[in-house]
Amino acid sequence: MKRREFLQRLGVGSLAALGFSRFALAQARPVKLATLLPLTGPFAFAGNAGREGFVDGVDYVNEVLGGIAGRKLELIVEDTGYDVAKGTAAFNRVLSRERPEELLFVYGDSTGLSKALAPEIARIGLPYSATSFASELADPEKYPTIFVFGPTYNDMMEALLRQIRLQKGKARIALVYSNTEFGRDPIPYVKERAKALGMEVVHEEVTPPAFTDATPVVLNLRRANPDFVLLQGYALSVEPLILRAAREQGLRAQFMGTYYSAELVLIQRAGPAAEGFTVTYHNPYWYDTLVPAVDEMRKFRQRKGRDTSYRPTYYMGSLAVALGVAEAMRRAAQAGKLTRAGVVEYLEKIGDYTALGLTRGYQFVNHRIPYTKLYRASVKDGRFNAITDWLKLA
Amino acid sequence: MADLLPYLIGGLANGALYGLLALGFVLVFRATSVVNFAIGEFLLVGAYLTYTFALLLPLPLAILAALPLAFLFGVLVERGFVRPLLGRNVVAVIMATVGLAAALDGGVQLLWGPDLKYLPGSLPDLGFEAGGVYVSSRAVWNLLLALPLGLGLLWLLRKSRYGILVRAISEREVAALALGIPTARILAGVWGLSALLATLAGALLAVASGVGYNLVFFGLKVFPVAILGGLDAVGGALVAGFLLGVLEALSQRYLEAYLPGFTEALPFVVVLLVLLVRPYGLFGERQIERV
Repeated sequence: MKRREFLQRLGVGSLAALGFSRFALAQARPVKLATLLPLTGPFAFAGNAGREGFVDGVDYVNEVLGGIAGRKLELIVEDTGYDVAKGTAAFNRVLSRERPEELLFVYGDSTGLSKALAPEIARIGLPYSATSFASELADPEKYPTIFVFGPTYNDMMEALLRQIRLQKGKARIALVYSNTEFGRDPIPYVKERAKALGMEVVHEEVTPPAFTDATPVVLNLRRANPDFVLLQGYALSVEPLILRAAREQGLRAQFMGTYYSAELVLIQRAGPAAEGFTVTYHNPYWYDTLVPAVDEMRKFRQRKGRDTSYRPTYYMGSLAVALGVAEAMRRAAQAGKLTRAGVVEYLEKIGDYTALGLTRGYQFVNHRIPYTKLYRASVKDGRFNAITDWLKLA
Repeated sequence: MADLLPYLIGGLANGALYGLLALGFVLVFRATSVVNFAIGEFLLVGAYLTYTFALLLPLPLAILAALPLAFLFGVLVERGFVRPLLGRNVVAVIMATVGLAAALDGGVQLLWGPDLKYLPGSLPDLGFEAGGVYVSSRAVWNLLLALPLGLGLLWLLRKSRYGILVRAISEREVAALALGIPTARILAGVWGLSALLATLAGALLAVASGVGYNLVFFGLKVFPVAILGGLDAVGGALVAGFLLGVLEALSQRYLEAYLPGFTEALPFVVVLLVLLVRPYGLFGERQIERV
C-alpha cells in the first residue's frame, strides 16, 4: 500500500469511526421525561407521592422493561411549590436546558400552571400532561399535544350526577368549591347538567382552597338543606373538616367528591363522619392486590428496598402516567418515530395497553380517558370500596 | 337572631385565634419596630411541635409542653436573626424575617416531611347545645384559652415590671439602655412570647384541622388584623381579631350568597378602608411629624 493510499484510508477510516461513534453516542443518549411537581408548598404531600410514582415507574421501565428501545428513560424532577410563576420558571428552565430530540414529555402541575403553559406547549408541539384534569386541557384541536390521563373534572361530575339520579330523581344539590381554577373548572358544566337531569342546585359556596373552620360553610348548607353536596378543588385540605362539622351540626346530606378527595387519609381524619362519602377514582388502590400492577410494584419496591406500605392515590396516578408515556415512546421507537410528534401519535394509539391494570386502558377520547369508577368510604374497613364498575363518560 | 348566632360564635372563635396571633405580632413590632413576616411560620412550627409532643403525651399536656419550647424558639430567632442586625436599617431586619420564613418552610418539610399530619388525640369535647344553637368544642376551646391568655398578657404589659420595661424600650431604646435596662434580654423575651402565642394558635388550629403547610395561610390574616387594630396597639390587636372574625361571619351569612368568594377578600377590603380613614388603625396612636 502506497503512503498516499494508506493516508487516504486512514482518513476515511477515522472519519467513519468518528461518525459511527457519534451515531452510537446519539443512540445511547437517554430519552427524557420531565416532571414539574409541587414538592413544597400546600400540596407537597401529593407532589412527593407523585414523584415517588414517577421514580418507580421510570426505574421499572429501565430495569424490567429494558428502557425505550434500548435507550435509558431519564426522569427530570423540578419543584413548582404549587405556584404558577415558579412552575413557569421551572418549565422554561427545563426547556432551555434539554435537547428537543431528547426531552419527549413534560408532566406539569395544577390547572392554573397547565392553562398558563398550554399555548406555548401547543406552539412547540411538546407532549404534555399534568396533575390537572381540567376540561379545557382535553381539547386536541386547540392543544394537540396535551393529554389528560383520566376523566376530566366535568366527566367526574357527570359520574356523580348519574349516581345522584340513581339514588334520588329530583335531587337538591349544593356545590362547595374552592376559589381556584381547580375548584371552578367543572362548575358551569355541573349547573347545566344538573338542570338537564331535573335536579336543582340549591346552594353554591365558594371558599378559599384551605381554611380551618367549616362552621359557616355547614351553616349555609344547613339553611339550603340539600340532598347531596358536591365538593371540588380541595385535595384533602378541608374535606375532613367539612364532613366533621356537617356531622356535628346534624346535616343529613350525602357528600361527594372527585379524584383528589379519594384518599384514605380523608377517612382517617374525618372518622365516622366520612361514612358514605362517595368519590370518583380511576386507578387501583394500593390495597387492590388482585390487580397485577399493584402486586408487581409491591415486589419491585421490595427488591429495591423501598417501603411497601400503603402508597397514596397520587402515587398510583403518577405511576400510570409514567408507564403509559413509556409505552407510547417504546411503540414510537419501534416505528422509527421516537420524536415529540411520534409520542403524540402513539399516545393516541395505545388503547389496548392497561399497564398491568393500572388503568382500564389508555383509550383517549378527545385526549382524555373518559372512564371512572365510583367508590364509597367505609369507616369500618378504613378504605374506599368500589360501588360501580367502569362508567363510560364520553 | 337565632339563625345568625351560630355564625357569630364561629366568627368569635376564629377571631380569638386571629387576636392571639396578632397580639404576638404587634408586641414584636411595638418593641422592636420589626414587621415579622415569619409569623405564619411561627404558627406552623408551633403546630408541628404540638404534633410531635402529641405522639408521646396526651394532647393537653402536649400543648403545654410545646409552649416553653416555642418560647425558646422565639428567643433563638431573636438571638440568631434579629440581634445581629440591630442598629442596621429596620428594612434589613424585615428582610431577614422574610428569609427566615422561607428557611422555616423548608426546614419544617425536611424535619416532618410533606404529608399532612393529624394529632393522635383530641381535647375533651366541650361542645354543647343551648337554645337550639350548637356551640362546637372548637369554639369553646378557642375562646377559653385565647381570651384569658390575651387579657392576662395585656394586664401584664400594663401593670407588671416586665411590661413597663417593654414599654420603656419601645418608647426609646437608647434611653432604656442608658438607664441600665437589659434590653437584649427583654427583647428576646418579647420574641419568645410572640412565638408562644403563635404556637397556642397553631396548636388549636392543628387540633381542628391537622398540621400541614396550609396553616401558613392562616398567618396571612395577621396583617389585616394588626393594621385594623393599629400596629402599635397591643390591645387593639385582640379587639381587631374578634372584629375581623365577626365581620367574616357576617359576610358568610349575608354576602356569600350574592358575592361568592367575597369573604376571602373581606379582610383586605377592610384594611383598605381603614387605611383610607384611619391610617394608624382603629386603636393605634396618631403620630404627627412636624418638619
